[in-house]
This record gives sequence, C-alpha cells and structure tokens, in this order.
Amino acid sequence: MAQIILEFLAASIRIATPMIFAAMGAILAEQAGVFAVGLEGMMLAGAFGAAVATAATGSVAAGLVASLAGGAVIGAVVAIVALRLRADQMVTGLAANMLAAGLTSFLLRTIVGHGRAPTIRLPLLEAWAVPGLSALPVIGPLLFRQPPLTDLAFVAFVPLAWFIGRTHAGLRLRAVGENPVAAYAVGANPTRIRAWATIAGAALAGLGGAVLVLQQVGTFTDAMTGGRGFLALAAVIVGRWRPGATVAACLVFGAAEALQLRVQAFGLPVSSYVVQMLPYLIALVVLAGLARSARVPAALGVAYEGNRPT
Amino acid sequence: MTVPNAQFFRSRLQHSILASPATRAGIAVALALLCAGLLVMLAGADPIEAGRAIYFGAFGSVDRIVFGLNRATPYILCGTGVALCFRARIINIGGEGQIALGGLCAAWAAFVFPAAGPLAALGGGLLGGMAWAILAALIHVGRSVNEVVVTLLMNFIAVLIVEEALHGPLGETGAGFLQSPLLPDAYALPKLLAKTDLHAGILIAIAVALAGQILLRRTSWGFALRVFGESRRAAAYAGFSAAGLTIGIMALAGAVAGLAGAIEVLGIHRRVIDGFSHGFGFNAIAVALLATLEPWAVIPAGLFFGFLEAGTTAMQRQIGVPSSLVVVTQGLTMLFVLAAMARAGRKTAG
Repeated sequence: MAQIILEFLAASIRIATPMIFAAMGAILAEQAGVFAVGLEGMMLAGAFGAAVATAATGSVAAGLVASLAGGAVIGAVVAIVALRLRADQMVTGLAANMLAAGLTSFLLRTIVGHGRAPTIRLPLLEAWAVPGLSALPVIGPLLFRQPPLTDLAFVAFVPLAWFIGRTHAGLRLRAVGENPVAAYAVGANPTRIRAWATIAGAALAGLGGAVLVLQQVGTFTDAMTGGRGFLALAAVIVGRWRPGATVAACLVFGAAEALQLRVQAFGLPVSSYVVQMLPYLIALVVLAGLARSARVPAALGVAYEGNRPT
Repeated sequence: MTVPNAQFFRSRLQHSILASPATRAGIAVALALLCAGLLVMLAGADPIEAGRAIYFGAFGSVDRIVFGLNRATPYILCGTGVALCFRARIINIGGEGQIALGGLCAAWAAFVFPAAGPLAALGGGLLGGMAWAILAALIHVGRSVNEVVVTLLMNFIAVLIVEEALHGPLGETGAGFLQSPLLPDAYALPKLLAKTDLHAGILIAIAVALAGQILLRRTSWGFALRVFGESRRAAAYAGFSAAGLTIGIMALAGAVAGLAGAIEVLGIHRRVIDGFSHGFGFNAIAVALLATLEPWAVIPAGLFFGFLEAGTTAMQRQIGVPSSLVVVTQGLTMLFVLAAMARAGRKTAG
C-alpha cells in the first residue's frame, strides 16, 4: 500500500511539472500587471517548438531552446497588442490562444509534414537518480528519482521567487503591477517592464510545453496542452501569486490528474469526470473565499495609458 | 497659403469613412486574409487556387450553403450575448460552458417529456445556459472575483458535467463513445428547405441578434448597459444597479448561449455528443469582436466565420491545405480587430 501511495505521489509531481513552469511564467507576467490568459497558447507553442526542434536535430537542448522561443513568440504578440496598442488583455490572451492553436496545427501539417501530420516519436527523458539523495526513504523516490525537467522545475522556482521578492529588478516589476503611474514617477518604464515580463513569462510557459512533449507524451498533437495552461492560471490564483504556494497548488492539481487515472485501480466510488472537476472546483472555492484580497497585484489587467497625462 | 500638414490629414482621416467601425473591421479581415494567403504560399499552394476552393466550398452548392448557415447559427446566437456583455464591459467568456449545458438540458427535457415538442427542449436549453451564467454572475458579483476567471473555470466544469451525464444517466449504453441516445422524432427542429439539413435555427439566431440590437439601442435598460460599459462611476451616479445590470446581462447571454446549444443538439446531431460545444464559445468572442460589439453586425460576422469554416474544410479535401488555416484566420482577425478598436478607442478618448 505504501508503495502504491508513493508511486501515486511521484506521478502527481511528474504531472504537475509542466504546470509549475507555466505557473511561474504567469506569476512573472501577472506580478507586472499583465493577465496571463494566453498561457495555454504559449505552452502549446513551446510544445510545438520542442517537438519539432528535437525531432529535427536529435538534441534535447535544441528542443528546450525552441520551446522557450515558441512561447516567447506568442508572448511578443500579446505584448504588442495588449501593451503597445493597449487592447483588452483578457481578450488578447484568448486571441493569442486561438492563434497558437491554429498556427501549430497548420505548420505541423505544412512545413514539417509536407501535406500531412508527420509522425514524431521522441524517446522520453528518463528518470535519473541524484547520487546519494535518492537513497533517502520516501523523499528519495519522490524528489530525487524523477526525470531531469521535474528536478529543474524545483530548482528553478527558487531563484525566480528570490528574483521577484528580493531583488531591485523584482521590486520594480511588482511596482509596475501595483501602480504603473507611481512606478513611472520613480523612473521605471512600465510598458517596457511589462513587455519583458510577458515575454519572459511566455518563454517559461513554453518550457512547460516542452516538459509535456519531452517527458510525458513524446510527440506533438493538436491542442495537446488540453487546458493545462488554464489550470496553471488557476494555480497562480489559488497560490495568491506567491511562487511557493503556487507550486503547492500545481502539485494538488497534479494529484487530481494522477488520481483521475487511478480511479478504477483505487476502487473509488466516483467517475473520473468528477475527479477531473476537482482542480477547477478547488480554484473556484478558493477564489470565492479569497475575494479580491490585497495579494492581487492592484493594477493587474489595468492598461497603462502612457507616460503623459491623458 | 498654408500647406496642409500631417495633422490636418490625420483629422480628415478620422472623420472620413476610414474611421467607421465597419471599415476598421473590414481592414482587420483583409489583413487576416492576407496573412492566411501568405501561410498558404508557405504551405506550397497557390493562394488564388485556395481562395477559389474556399469560395466554392462555401457557396458551390445548396448543401455547402446550408452547411455554412447551420455553422453560423451558434456563432450568431452566442456572439450576440458576448457582444452585449462586452458592451457593458463584462468579459463573459463562459459561452462554451453555457452552450454545453444548454445542449444537455435540451436533451434532458426531451427525454423527460417525450411528448412535448422542440419548444420544450429549446426552453430547457435556454434555462440551462441561463442558470449556469447566473451562477457565474453571482460568484462574480457576490465575491468580487474576476468574471473572466470564474466563467473560464466554469467552462471546464460544465463540459465535465456533460461528460459525467453522458457517462451515466443520459448516456447511450454500448455506444463506445460518450453520447446520448437519439432524441425522439417529435423533437427535430422544423426544416426550412426540404431535402436539406437547413433547420429553423438560423431564423432564431437572426431574430435574437436583431432583438439584441433593439434592446441595446432602443430601451432604457440598453441605455443603462451602455452607460455602465462606458463608465462605472457614471452608471452609479445615475443610480443604475451594478449588480442588477451584471446579473441581468450575464443571464441574457447565458440564455442565448444555452439556446445555441439546444439548437445544435436538436438541429444538427439529434443527440448530445461529447465535445459538441468545443470551441464555439471562443469563436463567438471572435465573432462579437469582428462585429465591433454591435448586435446586428453579429449576423454578417457570424455568417463570415460560418462560411469560412465551410469553405476551408472543402479546401482541405480539394488541394490539401490544412483546414486549421481557419483557426489561424480567426485568431488573426481577433488580434487585428482588437488592435484597430484599441486605436479607435484612444482617439475618441484622447
């Protein structure tokens, strides 16, 4: 029994990994005041880049770079339309999702497949044991015998949290998300900071897409992110824009998905559809309980109307 | 003699036809189609030939025209609701979930009251979509949670509720696929053209869009909505209830989305199929934007996307250019309209 639970928890962590990367990207953008509704499309573009580049070059490193670039392209589109032209951030994000879904599907069949969807089969990155630490009981198999990108997620969120919370640049980022006019008054350029936060966040979300391709599925299919970007968005809200709490929320959502795959094995009295609802219900309940607390970046979604008074 | 400067031309341009919303939408569509043409070339096909294939795929035969009209029906219905919500600056993106539950409730009504006609099912769908939207509005207003996030999360829950229902009580046993049994014959929507699939849905959709236009432009409630959308403070000063307007317009949008779901189920599939609502909600947002949030204009905008989809599926069969081109075009149209509207909004505001 203990073995089954351990295996279940390890699977939850693996499943949560793409969402952790995407959620970190969302925190970066949203702390700067830009809604990350386009997260789904950024992940999808990253997944596409990872699959195509890895298949073409045989190098996982190339795939990772391409996934960062794929996400960043969608992020740049959002930055231009929502920040430069100041269109509604939410709707721009939705349009970016649509663009990413269409473009990845179209390019896969034309440029990559020359008329038909190509068969991409990539070997999945295998779990590796961190020397020494993997021998620890419980923690060993959970944390130190995971595939490499899962380890990267846990290593990467610490400097990100430090950057946002403890550095001067991170402070500016948050200032722009709280009150862009005041941030401008002390010498920050809100539009530029928001644009870079959006693009960098999008690149991170793209990396999340790469995890999905390189570590979980091994190929690219249309709309393969299947709502994980939106779930990551919900995790950020549940985690109240704090990196640590957001990772915890991602792990809970990952556990729900892992549980859904094991409903029959565990003999649960509910269907897998009900279990799949859990992450969304949790997010909704937390959200309703939390209301618009002080934790929400105050200028989130509020367009910055330029440096001159209007 | 003074030489007219750039400022002069710019102000002339603003007051000319180029500044009208219809022209802006037209330019956005033209730019999106231009990009689509470039993508077709990138795919190694001739864009002129692709355009011809799309045109004949959309209008080449009665069956193709019927396909396009049926396709446009849910877009026009749901798009009208979205346009009205966006007018009041309520970003309701819950169309997908409201359509899904509308379809489910329509089928449920049909199975519970097998003798009643399609009106009972349409009513069931309308109420189902409306109830789901009111729930979202109550969470949004009552707990001051962002409406985008609430409606987005509730989309996923709604689709899973439909899957659970098809997995359990409403499902067809042994189908091997999540779907309900066929609805009783009494529930078929009346046909507009014998021997074709054209059902009465498109007439309902056009009537709803026109009613939406009248509501927005000719009623005091529509006026309150527009004031509320332009300025929350002005609406409060005028004594309009923010909660009442929000819940009211969300309920209305949910009702027409639910109606769209019911029509899709009764008119096209004659049963509930897993994923039948997929993408409709987001496409309706693209339609509403292309209509520059003007309810009557949702009709041509919905028809445009409906026929574009009909044409693109035919093009894929004919010359092998993937039909996902239509999704790219929809996304690009949205982005270009957003950009154009943002520019227009800044000019009128500034």
